[in-house]
Amino acid sequence: MARMTTQPLLIAAMALTLLAGGFAVWAGWSWYGAAHDDSAAYAASRDKALAAGEQAVQNLSTLDHNDLAHGLDMWQDSTTGDLHQQLADGRSEFEKQVQQAQTVTTAKVLDGAVTELDDRAGKARVMVALRITVQAPKEKPAAKDSRMLGELTRTASGWKLSALGQAPVGNSAAN
Amino acid sequence: MSTAELKSATGPDPDGASPDAGPAGGAPPDEAGPEAGRAPEGAPRGEPAAPPAGPPVEIPAPLDEAAEPADEATAPRDEGAEPADEATAPRGEGAEPADEATEPADEATVPRDEATAPRDESAEPADGATAAPAPRLRRVLSLGCVVVLLLAGAGLLFQARQLTTTPATANRALTDASETTQVIGDVSNTLGKVFSYAAQDTSATEQASKELLSGRAASQYAALFGQLRQRAAEQKLSLTTHVVRAGVTRLTRDRAELLVFLDQRAQRDSSAPTTAAAQLSVTAQLDAGHWQITDIRAR
Repeated sequence: MARMTTQPLLIAAMALTLLAGGFAVWAGWSWYGAAHDDSAAYAASRDKALAAGEQAVQNLSTLDHNDLAHGLDMWQDSTTGDLHQQLADGRSEFEKQVQQAQTVTTAKVLDGAVTELDDRAGKARVMVALRITVQAPKEKPAAKDSRMLGELTRTASGWKLSALGQAPVGNSAAN
Repeated sequence: MSTAELKSATGPDPDGASPDAGPAGGAPPDEAGPEAGRAPEGAPRGEPAAPPAGPPVEIPAPLDEAAEPADEATAPRDEGAEPADEATAPRGEGAEPADEATEPADEATVPRDEATAPRDESAEPADGATAAPAPRLRRVLSLGCVVVLLLAGAGLLFQARQLTTTPATANRALTDASETTQVIGDVSNTLGKVFSYAAQDTSATEQASKELLSGRAASQYAALFGQLRQRAAEQKLSLTTHVVRAGVTRLTRDRAELLVFLDQRAQRDSSAPTTAAAQLSVTAQLDAGHWQITDIRAR
């Protein structure tokens, strides 16, 4: 008598447990796949590179003659490699020029995009459109739209600019 | 079974709200495990001293198990194995028929029969609907296992979703290389066509704009080009535009945002051409396999 009622219950309980177990295994497998998804990591790198690139370009376009040391420290902190070396080498010369000109330069990033990203090599290229405003003493501030192409290199402390230049105008037919 | 289905049905819901419910839900069965293990151990020990009174007063749950060792010499061994069995529901229940098989022997001896009789009655209905303590414990444990598995599974799925649906992964710029290349190609071609015209003939440009632009970009362009067409003819003005560099800032299945650097070479009559730089933020929509520009903003 008891066996008659126990048996279907038992089967149902086993089936339920098996189903739940199967569900848990499937969920674990999905989680593992998601945690090791390369494209998710690549997308995250892309966004980090863009944020770092836009910030670095803005830093390198900002300088106040009243606060030169801090501003130039920021420049060097945003760069690495050759560009970093160039800035370090030319620093004293540049300080003199800016102190004479007494300019305050500010910049605002209008838009930016990553055009290339090699996540493994830690290299990326960005393009940034920005508006640079230069305020010279006793003059009206002059705004200029600028388009920059930068190369980023990943370092231990994040993405840093290793090259930066204006996108060329006029010889684009050659590109 | 109806309660089991109810509990398993409601299980994933609270879990969906908080993934942490998974580990927390795992706690009760774990705690129940050691307790169930302890009870049978204590029972055989207390039993020789006072079989009728002792165990029932102390703990109601192990009542059956405490009494059964008195019936047979083999019983304590069975129960010794049971705590392990109880961790996995099917096996625990599988042990039951063995216990029941020993019961006819109990009935043969009168004093014990009296002691076991009420238990037999309570045990049998428990198999059906109302619960005698031990089968209920077993059932709760097995149900607990199912609930824990469901909660763990739902928690993992939630985590997986969290990982794959970040703002970064929603943007397929560069991660979807072929689509990124295609949208850059389509948008660059369109900009080259609609922002280039010859002084003598602007109709080709106008035609291209009608095909390749839509939405706000189309109306913007129509307004702009109305003035431009007249000037082009009067001043013998021609314009050539090409894209220096384009990058995708945002890409979803059917919508893209790009930053485009352009060079525009203008020539008036026979004077030397001048080149101007332009930066545009462009929005494009995928329409029948082709990216159409829907918005253009100068930067």
